[in-house]
Amino acid sequence: MEESTENNSNQNFLKERFKGDISKHHKNYLGTTIPEGYFAKSKMSILDKIKEESKIEAPKKQLVFWMQPQFKYIAAACLIFILSLTVWLQHVNKPAPINETNFELFAFSDDVLLESLLIDESEVEAFVDATLFNEVLVKVELSEQKLDNFILDNLILGDSLLDDYIYEGLIETIVL
Amino acid sequence: MSKDADLVKKLQNPTLKDTAFSALLDAYQERLYWHIRKIVTTHENADDVLQNTFIRVYKSIQKFEGKSSLHTWMYRIAYNESMRFLEKNNKKRYDNIDEVSEAHLEVLFEDTYFDGNEIQLKLQEIINGFTEKQQRVFQLKYFDDLSFRKISKILEVSESTLKSTYYTTVKIIEEKIFL
Repeated sequence: MEESTENNSNQNFLKERFKGDISKHHKNYLGTTIPEGYFAKSKMSILDKIKEESKIEAPKKQLVFWMQPQFKYIAAACLIFILSLTVWLQHVNKPAPINETNFELFAFSDDVLLESLLIDESEVEAFVDATLFNEVLVKVELSEQKLDNFILDNLILGDSLLDDYIYEGLIETIVL
Repeated sequence: MSKDADLVKKLQNPTLKDTAFSALLDAYQERLYWHIRKIVTTHENADDVLQNTFIRVYKSIQKFEGKSSLHTWMYRIAYNESMRFLEKNNKKRYDNIDEVSEAHLEVLFEDTYFDGNEIQLKLQEIINGFTEKQQRVFQLKYFDDLSFRKISKILEVSESTLKSTYYTTVKIIEEKIFL
């Protein structure tokens, strides 16, 4: 009777489709077992291990003290201050470059003296040089030419016309 | 949306990740354990590899693009972790599962959680005598109860080839057991 049951069991081997309990199936066919309540314990163990790993990974970003936000802002402010100071120190002792546009403004300005009080001395000097060259020297040159022409014309035309050519502006130019 | 797709979506959401991971463990822990156990043989080893597998799944889930099913993806991770474990612990490189099979039986007798009878031991020996492909087809079909269609996707082998391989292995097992 016992032998007959064993034979039936052997004949059914691999015939039954596995459904349901995988562990039971493995025990029946492969003889492999697991400790009682293993999967519940294993689940907790895996979840704990993941929590541990997350904790280890999370503080990595803030391990260095200066990487923490409060130090980060201070460090950034210091860096900006040092850079600004460096740039300022580099320019503070340098003579300011002559601004060409200012000369044009001065040339057309009526109140040059008043503006000169508000600007740098070097700029005023540059303005004076430029004005002298552009305005005075050119005017003098032109006036000289006019004077030469005037003398030559008078020599030809006669003294009666002399008074007509003498005007106030011309005399001023000659004086200058 | 399938149950797995929904689970993946939750796993990729940082706020729902931990809850979803607990559900993932409930759904796949036992299956993956037995899959691993058949490769690394002992319970202790399987326990270590199972932990490593799920930690890797947890860390890599953001990279999962859904090109394969979640089960296939986890199956591959479990398989790779098992092979890595064996190489590390045996100080020997296993190029294929055939080499692993030789070591399998030696370790099996040392396992506290193996109390197989004669027929069960014989089945283990027969399975370990199969080629890698035969072993995987038989285990996925018989023990993991996957459909031929799914196994076909996992192993990238046609369904007809799989069916032929599976029924051949079953025939060999029955013949050898009832000799």
